[in-house]
Amino acid sequence: MTALILGGATLTSLGDGAATFTALLAGDAGPVPLAHGDPGRLRVTRGHHVPDGDPNTPFRASGWLTRCVREALDASAVDPARTRVACVVGSGLRELAAVELLDPRAVPVQRLHFAHAVRRAAPEIGEVVTVSNACSAGGHALALAQDMVELGDADAVVVAATDAMTESMLAMIGRVADEPTDRVRPFDAGRTGVLLGEGAAAFVIVAEGSHRPDQRGAALARVLATGLSCDAHHETAPSAEGIGRAMRDAYHRAGRRPRETGLVLAHGTGTALNDPTECAALRDVLVADGGDPLITGVKGAVGHTSGVAALTSLDVALRCLRTGRVPPITGLRTPLPEGKDLRLLIGEPAPTPGGLVQLDAFGFGGVNAVTLLERP
Amino acid sequence: MTAAAAVVGTAVHDPGLDARQVLGRKGLLYKEPATRLALCAVHQALALEPGERPDWPLRPRTAVVACSNLGNVQTVSEVTRAVRAGGVREVSPMAAPNASSNVIASTVALWFRLGGPNLMICSGATAGLDGLAMALRLLRAGRADQVVLVGAEPADEVATALYGPSLRAGAACVLLEAEGDVLVEAPTAGEPSPGGPSPSGSVAQEPAGDLYGAHGVAAVALAARAVVAGHTETVTVTCGSAEDGWRSALVRRRREAPR
Repeated sequence: MTALILGGATLTSLGDGAATFTALLAGDAGPVPLAHGDPGRLRVTRGHHVPDGDPNTPFRASGWLTRCVREALDASAVDPARTRVACVVGSGLRELAAVELLDPRAVPVQRLHFAHAVRRAAPEIGEVVTVSNACSAGGHALALAQDMVELGDADAVVVAATDAMTESMLAMIGRVADEPTDRVRPFDAGRTGVLLGEGAAAFVIVAEGSHRPDQRGAALARVLATGLSCDAHHETAPSAEGIGRAMRDAYHRAGRRPRETGLVLAHGTGTALNDPTECAALRDVLVADGGDPLITGVKGAVGHTSGVAALTSLDVALRCLRTGRVPPITGLRTPLPEGKDLRLLIGEPAPTPGGLVQLDAFGFGGVNAVTLLERP
Repeated sequence: MTAAAAVVGTAVHDPGLDARQVLGRKGLLYKEPATRLALCAVHQALALEPGERPDWPLRPRTAVVACSNLGNVQTVSEVTRAVRAGGVREVSPMAAPNASSNVIASTVALWFRLGGPNLMICSGATAGLDGLAMALRLLRAGRADQVVLVGAEPADEVATALYGPSLRAGAACVLLEAEGDVLVEAPTAGEPSPGGPSPSGSVAQEPAGDLYGAHGVAAVALAARAVVAGHTETVTVTCGSAEDGWRSALVRRRREAPR
């Protein structure tokens, strides 16, 4: 069984989904000076902030989520008052920025997760679950949302994600980097590490063929399947074997072949841990099956948006399908050796290939989610 | 397909028990209290010997669903304090895994070699039964043959300050599969009956103290034990709060003969 995406809303450092896609096609977007915490102490000097006031204000992630959920419901014309709607929210960092105020009295404990923010957008929404699966949280939320509509547990599910920066995560990036990174260069031989991004996204999905009395527009895409795996391999280092299992799970669940994929929205963090491993898994699964997909990625332009990353990629994928254009990998100049035989898109936009679209999302602790989409 | 699964193993870990006695001495350095509690609960639910370290091949059909809200708030606070005081040199890279909220779920997978879907549920007072709902879906959707559902909360200084003095450290684990004699049905939304959550059977099934995000898992574990022991045929377990809402689930003996 498959699911349909009816409508969505996205917010990144570059603006809404349309503005983000335009900037990606132009290839000129980059990070700005870090405005959260103390860059000198963090040894992180740049980031991709959502430009909406002081980045040191708490509960920003909740505000973006409320806005995106409301817009996604409006865009899809699904009314939670008239149909059973649930919500799965993926987030890597939850509202831990509020914990970093170091004043527990200023933080109502129920504001660390997101039911409150979702119900501010739509009070009639039923089950709201916060899934904190690190940098693949959005991909996991998408998998669970599809399961819920396919199993009949909800008529529609808002699959959402939101993340704002935290000092503790910035400190970890600063702690492990040789020197502060000037920008994210996914799959580049001269990559120097990752920068954080911020944002939120929400999409409404329904089971294909289900009764949709409220549907207004056409579906944006068909979600065939999301494959899930856990490396169970290392605390922080990913494994090509574990990532490959998530890819194979996706193709198995979809009943499709890896060679059918024309476009990959890669996880591509610009780190020594991710990029060679992701290249190896793409070779092991897609190339080994006779595939030769075009590969792009968004983190050079919007940063690593943590738990939102998969849904940021999803929005770009939907726009690739709709406009027929694929943006290049911002920040990539010279491909890393492990990626030389892969079709990493550099420099200029390319026409959208036919076939399936694969979205990669991998997280700390080896939690992997790989989604397959196609035109509706 | 029924929206129920069988409880085939349970544990409610006594936080007074030293993790080294349960898990052995190796590999516990740098593990946070909530992670240690979760590992102990899973170890006991899997009926491993004290100190036995699993060395079986990776189990790709076993999923992990962990439920916790406050597991890493102490680390987040400590790292923040350290970096503000002295910069990143004051931050231990060994704390890096603990800075990510999903450290409990991923550490359980790594320790017990569980390669299936891995979820960290952080949805407040309903987290335990939210996790149960997701665990049942992983089974029904064919994503796993077994789910390790584990809840754990710490009661460190930061967690207690955020939640309140009623918070108790603890962990519980429920092993779920398709077939078995004791079933747990998919949780539903609903407030507890007047007078608080009460079992429909004759045995009270409330965990000792307030385990917050782990409460629902502990309640299912205790209810399943009561049914196994023959104290009762059905127990309704509830978790939640006025702010987060409520969820209830029915634990019962299978009525039809097992296939």
